[in-house]
Amino acid sequence: MTDVAWLSYSLQDFLMFGPQVFLRLFIRLNQDFWPWQLLVVPLTLAVPWMMCRPTHAWRRLAVWLVAAAWIGSGAGFLVRYFGEINWPAVWFGWAFVAQGLLIAVLAICCHSEAIPKGRAGVFTGLWLTGVVALPWVTVLQSGELGAMAVFGLTPDVTLAASSLVLAMMPRVWLWPLLPIPLVWVLFSAATYWALQLVWFLLLPAATLILFALGCWLSPSLARSQDPQSGHRGPVRR
Amino acid sequence: MRLTRRQLVIGAGISGFALASPGLFAELAGGTAAVPILRTVPSSGESVPAIGMGTWITFNVGNDPYLIESRTEVLKTFFDRGGSVVDCSPMYGSSADVLGKALNALQAHDQVFAATKIWTADESATRTQAESSHNRWGVARFDLLQVHNLLGWRGHLETLKEMKADGEIRYLGITTSHGRRHDEFARIMETEPLDFVQLTYNVLDREAESVLMPLARERGIAVIVNRPFQGGALFRRVQSEPLPPWAAVAGIGSWAEFFLKFVIAHPAVTCAIPATSQVAHMQENMAAMYGELPSESQRQRMAAFVRSL
Repeated sequence: MTDVAWLSYSLQDFLMFGPQVFLRLFIRLNQDFWPWQLLVVPLTLAVPWMMCRPTHAWRRLAVWLVAAAWIGSGAGFLVRYFGEINWPAVWFGWAFVAQGLLIAVLAICCHSEAIPKGRAGVFTGLWLTGVVALPWVTVLQSGELGAMAVFGLTPDVTLAASSLVLAMMPRVWLWPLLPIPLVWVLFSAATYWALQLVWFLLLPAATLILFALGCWLSPSLARSQDPQSGHRGPVRR
Repeated sequence: MRLTRRQLVIGAGISGFALASPGLFAELAGGTAAVPILRTVPSSGESVPAIGMGTWITFNVGNDPYLIESRTEVLKTFFDRGGSVVDCSPMYGSSADVLGKALNALQAHDQVFAATKIWTADESATRTQAESSHNRWGVARFDLLQVHNLLGWRGHLETLKEMKADGEIRYLGITTSHGRRHDEFARIMETEPLDFVQLTYNVLDREAESVLMPLARERGIAVIVNRPFQGGALFRRVQSEPLPPWAAVAGIGSWAEFFLKFVIAHPAVTCAIPATSQVAHMQENMAAMYGELPSESQRQRMAAFVRSL
């Protein structure tokens, strides 16, 4: 097909499924996965507490939970459910699994720093916004409580909340973790726009906002802004 | 052409349907017994109902049991109202699998005129993909195989010709949509022995009227029309608008009927394939297959009216 012919396509022309079918995926996932949500949700709520501990082992456990969430939402929602009706979702699913494994390995290799005490409350508030408020977007859109998007089971809420934790990673490790989230944000925003799922557009928007706030909260940035910090950057010799 | 048992079942079903269902047709036609509008496939003389069913988006519901049951009801309504031509493609995600499950649940393999497509750039994979589609639909053979959007059409058409000669399929064809690549499409229509072409035509998208549809008549090629509702955009265009008073005179009772009758009244059109996920909409679509069709002057009035909205 010529390049000119491609220009005649609209976003809607690439949609293979309707909004009703997409929203049903959340309901089916929650039905099939029940009652594991009872384990997933408390673990999710414990992440801010772990991230603020001075002991590195707790923070590593928190990052591993985030890694598991990526693997769960990739292999579960994206590959097994969304992939049935939209083949690119399968690729994204395996990309999410790869991202989860990468995060898990990085949690071993690099030691993230504890969130400064002054900012722990903000981090907790933002995390709870991600894992408690954002799941209601799917409920608002579908009108079904059973469609709630749970962290660790569905990709957008997982990505939005975990972007806070990713932002805590040392900058050098952060770059390889960015491509998949960025491509997913673009893909999901385009999909929701084409499906005219207006509430769903909050999810990619929230991901970008939470990531920006996460960067602002990250210990390295906090330290560089702290005039009392002993860290003065590399010494010129 | 020798008729198979299945063709006989379809033919007998269509022609005897009005006689066997007087109540239904009395309802459809406001008290007057009605017969479905049939069109002839020029290459064989076979009659097919003028309203078929597309499956793009609507039947791609994955393994959701609730939605599969709902689509089965849609298909049942389609058959109950005299439909038979169902069109799908390997490009449509899980649609072929869902269709197969619905056909199986309804035990309706004998009722369907099965039309699907070959959609792969690998021109040597025609038979492999046809076999895969066979398994997904669960039909003994396809009535019609079409090259989807001209993708790899040279190689696929050669194989399809062999398959037709061997009796593996009954008809072959090519498809396009959204008015794309009409020049190349016309060249293939002029040079290849096609039974069917599938193209986009509706009250607003009428480019096919200028070359492709006259060419189809001249070459004796049946025409399947996709996107008769412009992918639903026509309904959005008229959503708050009542039907014009003169529509009732032309035997039109809903906007779906308005759009579909405009399409199937064109003399080159064999069949329109609207897609829907709702039983009520299927009932409206199938109502267009009964009663009077608009005259050419009425069609011009219909087009002008929709353009003015």
